[in-house]
Amino acid sequence: MFRSRVATLGAAALVLTACGGGGGEAPQKKTELSLYNDKGAWTKYFDEMGALSKQSIGLSIKPTGYTDSAQYQAFIKASFRTDVKPDLFTWQTGGMLEEIVKQKQVADTSAIWQEAIKAGDLSQDLMPYYTVDGKQYCVPMNVAYWGMFYNKKIFDQYGLKPPETWDDLIEVAETLKRNNVKAFYHTSVLFSFVWFEQLLAGTDPDLYDRLATGQAKYTDPGVVQVMERWKQLIDAGYFINPGDKTDPGDVLKNGKAAMVSFGTWFNTSMTSRSMKAGTDYDFFVIPNVNPALPKTSMIFESGPLCSLTKAADPEASTRYLKWWTTAEAQQKWAASRGDVSANPKVTIDDKALGAVTKDAGGGEYRLVNRYFEATPPPILTAALDGFSKFVTEPGTYMEVLQTIQQAADEYWSTHQ
Amino acid sequence: MLGRFRYGYVAPAVLLVAGLLYAPFVWTAYLSFTRYDGLESPAWIGLDNFVKLFDDAALLTSTRNTLIWVVGTMVLPVGLGLLVAVLSYDIKGGAWFRVPFMLPYALSGAGLAMVWSPILSHDGVANRLLGVDTAFLQDSPYNTLAMLLVWTWQQLGVNTLLFVVGLQSIPKEPIEAARLDGASGWRLFRHVIWPLMRPLTAVVVGLALVAGLKTFDIVWVLTQGGPGRNSETLAVTMYKETFVSSDYGYGSAVAVMLTVVTGLASYLYLKRQVTAT
Repeated sequence: MFRSRVATLGAAALVLTACGGGGGEAPQKKTELSLYNDKGAWTKYFDEMGALSKQSIGLSIKPTGYTDSAQYQAFIKASFRTDVKPDLFTWQTGGMLEEIVKQKQVADTSAIWQEAIKAGDLSQDLMPYYTVDGKQYCVPMNVAYWGMFYNKKIFDQYGLKPPETWDDLIEVAETLKRNNVKAFYHTSVLFSFVWFEQLLAGTDPDLYDRLATGQAKYTDPGVVQVMERWKQLIDAGYFINPGDKTDPGDVLKNGKAAMVSFGTWFNTSMTSRSMKAGTDYDFFVIPNVNPALPKTSMIFESGPLCSLTKAADPEASTRYLKWWTTAEAQQKWAASRGDVSANPKVTIDDKALGAVTKDAGGGEYRLVNRYFEATPPPILTAALDGFSKFVTEPGTYMEVLQTIQQAADEYWSTHQ
Repeated sequence: MLGRFRYGYVAPAVLLVAGLLYAPFVWTAYLSFTRYDGLESPAWIGLDNFVKLFDDAALLTSTRNTLIWVVGTMVLPVGLGLLVAVLSYDIKGGAWFRVPFMLPYALSGAGLAMVWSPILSHDGVANRLLGVDTAFLQDSPYNTLAMLLVWTWQQLGVNTLLFVVGLQSIPKEPIEAARLDGASGWRLFRHVIWPLMRPLTAVVVGLALVAGLKTFDIVWVLTQGGPGRNSETLAVTMYKETFVSSDYGYGSAVAVMLTVVTGLASYLYLKRQVTAT
């Protein structure tokens, strides 16, 4: 009886050992990597990249796209404490990246950066966005420059040309208004910050940077003036209703608004609607509000592609990130989406976007980190809610600034 | 024999409920006393999150909106459900009359938004049909009222169905007796039918009370609690604080408060109904 029980226990132990992970095992060798991302609409493009990488380096990817960024971030954070870990995942630069790097969750990519810069596949200018305490983490999944997409047919109809100065832009808006066409798109959902960052960066980019690092307050006169200018533009009737739920791609295509300010990734929305660059729509760099500034401020964003320190197959993940930075991968990634690339060797088919990329790389503009990444998450949440309130009730701008500053005071009291 | 294994029979259910219901509840209650961003270990801060609840202007708006939802849910879907049930009951083809009210119940929250978003948006069908220029989903508290109407549209059918079942289960004798005594119309309903339906009404109103207190999906898909935070309910605030702001501690405090309020309201309501019955 006793022997049979011992034998049963022994067998159970063997089964459990076989089922368990075993801490001392060698990492598994993967040929397909999971890629979690918050760009659900880009699954098709990730699939195309997976097919190319399989040919080139023998590694394919299986994208899992989320469309709700809050759910996505909660999932990624939870995955740090569980065995369900992504091999690769997209994230945000700025405070969000710092937050997970400090938890020692993100794999160091300093070697990839050094090599890519040496080979001319990445620009040195991008490095600060990916550097935390002197080391690099992740690689650029995408880069985007922000400007104004405009409906070329409407511009042609009223004899309008892309503006060279802020006054020109207002003149264009005024002409459109006279012809019962709304000049600009804006929204109360998520991208409510767009006009705030554009007006502040184009008025005083130093103040923009100081605000992002807690050295200036949202209630400072410079920021208040920006809100007052924004209010004037809304009061002048240049914007469509911020509660309009029409997709901004359709807004521009249908001429509901003649101009939509977004990053170069918005080009994908245009091409996917069978619109032709240079004929149906075009792109211009938004002139500074303050003409005395030495360079035109241009909003810039870069989204990282990361791997974990405890990835199932760290070698495969690293190999993939390294391949992602190469000209071969980036040419495909940029061409399929009709967007610009982090790799300076990539040629951009779209004339306007190609010129912007070239000029930005040549130091023509003062690149300003997008508000979404530049602002610490708790302040950003308050600001997005605040700007959302402001665009529907412009008279509340002081109340909005005070509410955001309250969140900023709370954050910077423990994060200086 | 049965006595020896009796715990074994209930163990799977007990373990599932304990693991999937009670454990998260205890964990949430613990988190409400901590500062936790989902990454670092939770840091004990005592009652700070609960003190903050009383000093949060956004929470005041959420509480006001939740109250509108509770009252609105009990009045509109329940009241109109009762009306449709009474009007369609006992008439020829009454079941067909109720079908259009039932169909929207089959829609999910996201489907509901897909249907109503283009209707209520600024450039939407409602404004064009009415010939007005109203921001149905923007101005507070009208956006909450507009969403409440959408909710009524969806929930009316199921309440109607419940009331019809209630009407069918009423014993015929008291009604016949009342009719013989000359009661009809409103008097018959008020003094005979309504009291007989009381047990079912208690359940329907109780369900509506809980549904109103935990309103989330319809607000999330139509306005995400905005613009600003002016259409947030307590459940939306809980979600936003936890998953958007990554303030798991404060979000948990809102969750605990919402649980206590829902539990207390349900208990008091049901106790009153039981006592009255």
